Amino acid sequence: MMYKIKNPYRPIRAEITEVISETPTIKTIRIVPEEPITFETGQFIELTIPGIGEAPFTPSSRPTMKDIMEITIMNVGKVTEKVHELKNGDIVGVRGPFGKGYPMDRFKGKEILVVGGGCGFAPIRSLMYELFDRSGEFKKLFFRGGCKTPQELLYRSEMDDWAKRKDLDIKLTVDKGDSEWKENVGVVTTILDGVEMDYESGIAIVCGPPIMMKFSTKKLIEMGFKEENIYLSMEKNMSCGIGKCGHCRIGTYYVCKDGPVFTYDKIKKFSNIWD
Amino acid sequence: MQYISSSNFAKFLENLKNDYIVYIPVKKNDQYFYEKYIDFADDIVIGEVRAFEPLKSFFFRAREIVAENFKSDIPQKIQKPYCIVGVKACDLKGLQIQDYVFENHDYQDPFYIDMRKNNLIISADCTSTIDTCFCLALNVKPYPLENFDINLSVVGEDFVVEVGSQKGKILIEKYSSLFEEVKEEFISQRDKQRKKVIKRVEENIKQNDIPHQDSFKNIIERGYESNIWADEANNCVECGACNTICPTCHCFLLYDQKSENKMARLRIWDSCMIKDFAQVAGGANPRPELWMRLRNRFEKKFDFFPKVADIYACTGCGRCISACPAKIDIRKVLKRLVYDV
Repeated sequence: MMYKIKNPYRPIRAEITEVISETPTIKTIRIVPEEPITFETGQFIELTIPGIGEAPFTPSSRPTMKDIMEITIMNVGKVTEKVHELKNGDIVGVRGPFGKGYPMDRFKGKEILVVGGGCGFAPIRSLMYELFDRSGEFKKLFFRGGCKTPQELLYRSEMDDWAKRKDLDIKLTVDKGDSEWKENVGVVTTILDGVEMDYESGIAIVCGPPIMMKFSTKKLIEMGFKEENIYLSMEKNMSCGIGKCGHCRIGTYYVCKDGPVFTYDKIKKFSNIWD
Repeated sequence: MQYISSSNFAKFLENLKNDYIVYIPVKKNDQYFYEKYIDFADDIVIGEVRAFEPLKSFFFRAREIVAENFKSDIPQKIQKPYCIVGVKACDLKGLQIQDYVFENHDYQDPFYIDMRKNNLIISADCTSTIDTCFCLALNVKPYPLENFDINLSVVGEDFVVEVGSQKGKILIEKYSSLFEEVKEEFISQRDKQRKKVIKRVEENIKQNDIPHQDSFKNIIERGYESNIWADEANNCVECGACNTICPTCHCFLLYDQKSENKMARLRIWDSCMIKDFAQVAGGANPRPELWMRLRNRFEKKFDFFPKVADIYACTGCGRCISACPAKIDIRKVLKRLVYDV
């Protein structure tokens, strides 16, 4: 029997067409879903590994690519461990997209600072391509990215291409450099100073590990950014994607349906948002 | 209002069996359990108090398959809708919360909606209390006022019948020969009975000094950093019984069958008291300590739900009090939050 309401728990079958090793612990998979999935940058999907389970990820690909999706995944748990064993032709499942992504319309005419950390480069990559596609809509665009070591820097060759763009001011940093690393050494907050934009009216977008988001937010507020202009991508235990299973609640929100992108003013009063 | 004799009510149920799977409370020792109705046996109890199991079990099932092999249809389906008889007012409030979550909360859940849409709720007044009953503190009367199709008030061997929905009205018209106009004396008998039960719940409340929900505003925010949580969670064994037995708890776990050639996804009731409930794959956990999870449980019921849905997600049924092996008592926690912070 068919239901009038779509089954929200059913994944769409998708085939793996490419697996890219980004770093020793991070891979990007390219998938082709049986039914095209369109998403807004910042929204997330649930990826099913048949027989194992599912986990939430924000796609790292350009949202305008309708037939394929790329997801960049760090090996940290039971689902992601299996993801790292996947090869071309393997079948996975996708549900979504879920939640609210970045409100692009609210960025129009603004100066934008994007701050990425470690695995947070994945959603940021999708966002950056969306921003590049709409380049003329914004006043200025800055990217400040950091990770632990040069080996853990994601999308290295794309970063080189980004560095050549005239519409982007980009700076990278690593916590610990090596002999070949020519750029900044230090945590990401050390390269936020000196971003030439009007902090009072500017937009800041932060995505990365909780500790990085916590200190970046603190730094951005000190610099003069308004809390309602700081966009954070929250990572909680999203499961159903539709605000019913209860796992990802913070305060009066479910991250899966009210987020995962929140402005800082909306969530700052809730406890343990960074844990 | 109508009246039906117990022998006619048995005939009524017999007819309902054609269109519904009928469940009715049966008394076993000192507890009441919903059982599939076969005939009007002696152990059936329409009045008295709430059943052991929460009403949600019929509509939001403890374990069900929600997806199979990427197919878009729904894997399981019952043949006929449920008719649940003898539902008490506290459980009707519980259903109101479940309805909010699964029907009206931005996205609809096809499984719940399907189980719920054609069902029939024949509720009943409480005619007695147990010492854990405190519904009045949550503004729930021990007799149904809304959210039922038909309500029964036991008078002697028979019932005063009240209609609560169009569906109930049509059914009573359809079987009108089984019903008669109620006599005034039975209504006053019903009202007397209701007053008696109210008085007993009031005595429970007084004895345990349970605050009324009018004093619940901001108790969670106010008591957020208090030591009440650590103190109360001290003996918790993290069994999750308080969650599974609660008529308003709705959290679930999506769980994939461990078979690589067949994708089957199940959902099972989950518990926010279990350590990994909110933990992410990387290991970060917003509530690593038991007392934080106890606080979260109360926050959900007494802060989240009133803020998003204007309702306290507690019915005063007292099930969690009896279920807790550590004797954590929701009445005592509320009392401490209201009076001690």
